[in-house]
Amino acid sequence: MATNGHNNLNAKLVLLGDMGAGKSSLVLRFVKGQFLEFQESTIGAAFFSQTLAVNDATVKFEIWDTAGQERYHSLAPMYYRGAAAAIIVYDITSADSFTRAKKWVQELQKQGNPNMVMALAGNKADLEEKRKVTADEARVYADENGLFFMETSAKTAANVNDIFHEIAKRLPRAQPTQNPAGMVLVDRPAEGARAASCSYGFQNLGTLYSV
Amino acid sequence: MADPEPYPPIDPTNFDLIVIGTGLPESIIAAAASTAGKSVLHLDPNPHYGSHFSSLTLQDLVSYLNIQSINPQKSNTEASDRTIALDVTTRPIYSDIEICSYDNSVKDHSRKFNLDLAGPRVLFCADLAVDLLLRSSANQYVEFKNIDASYVCDENGDLMNVPDSKSAVFKDRTLKYSEKNQLNSFFKLVQGHLEAVKSVDIGSDDGKMISEEDLESPFVVFLDKMKLPPKIKSIILYAIAMVDYDQDAGESCKDILRTRDGIDRLALYHSSVGRFPNALGALIYPIYGQGELPQAFCRRAAVKGCLYVLRMPVISVLLNKDSGNYNGVKLVSGQEITSNKLVINPSFTITSSPSEPLQDVYKVFNVGTVTGKLARGICITKSSLKPDASSCLVIYPPRSLYPEQATSIRVLQLSSNLAVCPSGMFVFYISVVCDDALEGKKSLHAAIDNLFSRHTSSPTDSGSTDQTESAKVKPTLLWSALYIQDLIEGLMGPAVMTPTPDGNLNYNDLLHATSKLFQKLYPDDEFFPKTSYTDSSDQFEDDSEVGVESYISSRLGGTGDGGDTVDVHHGVWTASMWL
Repeated sequence: MATNGHNNLNAKLVLLGDMGAGKSSLVLRFVKGQFLEFQESTIGAAFFSQTLAVNDATVKFEIWDTAGQERYHSLAPMYYRGAAAAIIVYDITSADSFTRAKKWVQELQKQGNPNMVMALAGNKADLEEKRKVTADEARVYADENGLFFMETSAKTAANVNDIFHEIAKRLPRAQPTQNPAGMVLVDRPAEGARAASCSYGFQNLGTLYSV
Repeated sequence: MADPEPYPPIDPTNFDLIVIGTGLPESIIAAAASTAGKSVLHLDPNPHYGSHFSSLTLQDLVSYLNIQSINPQKSNTEASDRTIALDVTTRPIYSDIEICSYDNSVKDHSRKFNLDLAGPRVLFCADLAVDLLLRSSANQYVEFKNIDASYVCDENGDLMNVPDSKSAVFKDRTLKYSEKNQLNSFFKLVQGHLEAVKSVDIGSDDGKMISEEDLESPFVVFLDKMKLPPKIKSIILYAIAMVDYDQDAGESCKDILRTRDGIDRLALYHSSVGRFPNALGALIYPIYGQGELPQAFCRRAAVKGCLYVLRMPVISVLLNKDSGNYNGVKLVSGQEITSNKLVINPSFTITSSPSEPLQDVYKVFNVGTVTGKLARGICITKSSLKPDASSCLVIYPPRSLYPEQATSIRVLQLSSNLAVCPSGMFVFYISVVCDDALEGKKSLHAAIDNLFSRHTSSPTDSGSTDQTESAKVKPTLLWSALYIQDLIEGLMGPAVMTPTPDGNLNYNDLLHATSKLFQKLYPDDEFFPKTSYTDSSDQFEDDSEVGVESYISSRLGGTGDGGDTVDVHHGVWTASMWL
């Protein structure tokens, strides 16, 4: 969910699409400016963040990767919860991956927030000679389904920043939070382990209710 | 998502560990094993995560309860030359299901509910679940909110506030001055004892400890010795130490709490209050329901390489024909997957097919016996129990509702601010440990009658006794589901069987059992190494191997996003709980 505070937006963004479409590569290009020719299937990465400045505000994207749970269609509802934006990625050299992308769009429409900004990314645009999905076909589909469309290349960086910028621009500004924000439990070694021992027993009780 | 291939072939076909079922214990084992570098395949025949620990839409909950209460047909599986196949069948763990709907507006919003199958459940801020979320880095996927208040039913059937801290005692309006003093001096004594225990650890003794004899005595005897009045005793035993059985029943009490354990439970409660500076009470609840917890651990496991396949039933367990040892599983698709170890949740049983009478094997694959029963209830209303608390815990101590009430009945009220129901509605979870369905249902109904008024257009006879108390304006019951759940403990064998949800409010006993199972499964591996626990920056880098430091710091420092990030001190209590 995009949450608002002093023109700073925090927005959860989820990536969807077939294995091998280039979801992780897009994020790595966007967040780190890197590209690996032989990016392995996603293991070990699940969480990235990047802050973008748009006209009137800064948008901090909290980007969730599928952690491979999409492989056998076993993404947890948790993945979609509170997502303000989604990029559905397909590979322009694979007609199958485009068919699958449409399925992911349906899934999102079923699961997600109706105000979600959805982008369709035709990735691997550098592989023109192997193209199987025309840009026109994808654009027509995107228009009909309320997505915006770009062809991207994580390899050449073409349109990668642009697609994230476009999402940032389209995020509703003063969007009322649809669902309540709670607290994330964070372990911080504050005053070190010894000092923490004062939370043992009853010693904190005197100050608790003045917090 | 609808799959063109109903049962896709799984690749690879050999793993260190196969886990069947995505309940909390299985999910934690999958995450711990993946973290320890094992290759893990995690399967669930259901289309959702969580097994018996799920949070489901109203419709899905009803159909899950029904499906999990039917004795399934036996499937006869064929084994290949080298293996023996044992049938895997589902075992019904729910029974006596009663669904009542008094208002269609509830069903119309089915999808807006996230109803817990294993409610009522909360986390104590200093308990093992919180600890484990932090240790495993699964904490970043779940957000929590505080439970606003706790009430305990007194001998007159009235709900009184549970004063759970010094300042709460001070502010309380129902306690007499003398009672406040008694409670405060008792808290002080326990505090002194805990400090003395601690200082003994570092080698000094200031003699404030409660005697060994007292520590071994029943807690209720100790509370009597401290001359605490019945009201205070009841609060301490049932609303803070969360005891199930009537401690005043003497010899006939099934589970007498010793003073030592009683004091541990007080310590847990009180170190929970204030563990997170911006969480006011001791208890927290995950937004979107308890079903988020298994999902968080599964996501954590996936990040560490665990392979996830939902909607994939396992039809048999394969044994090596020569040795009789566990070899692998056969999926409904016919595919055989091998692994060294198998973890399976207790909603399945492994039985030998009639054609191959394998008494020995059957014995080894102990199926886990039912050790007890729980009565659970889910109720939906359009108003809150107390106008000033959107979420609260209510405890009915033994004998508070009717003379034969042998065990505590616990109730948790939640509101839409936890995203568990449509706005304007409230969900109540009720549970009670019982010997049989009849007794359990009696307790549930007694609590329901005390909490709610029946709907005016109720098809059942509306309780005439409620009319006299209508001055209190109880919430009107719109929908309810009551059911009995079998209790099955986890056990070790050729296949590790995980426990069913227990009757406790928190997950401590379950997680203890789970960590023990993991240790037996992998004696040489640590159950979530503590490295990330002391250094929170590590924790985040660990999650994204590419290491986005700017993100880490900004996330940790992130404020003004409406989601409060809370600090937690690494307490001695929580560390020692694992020993």
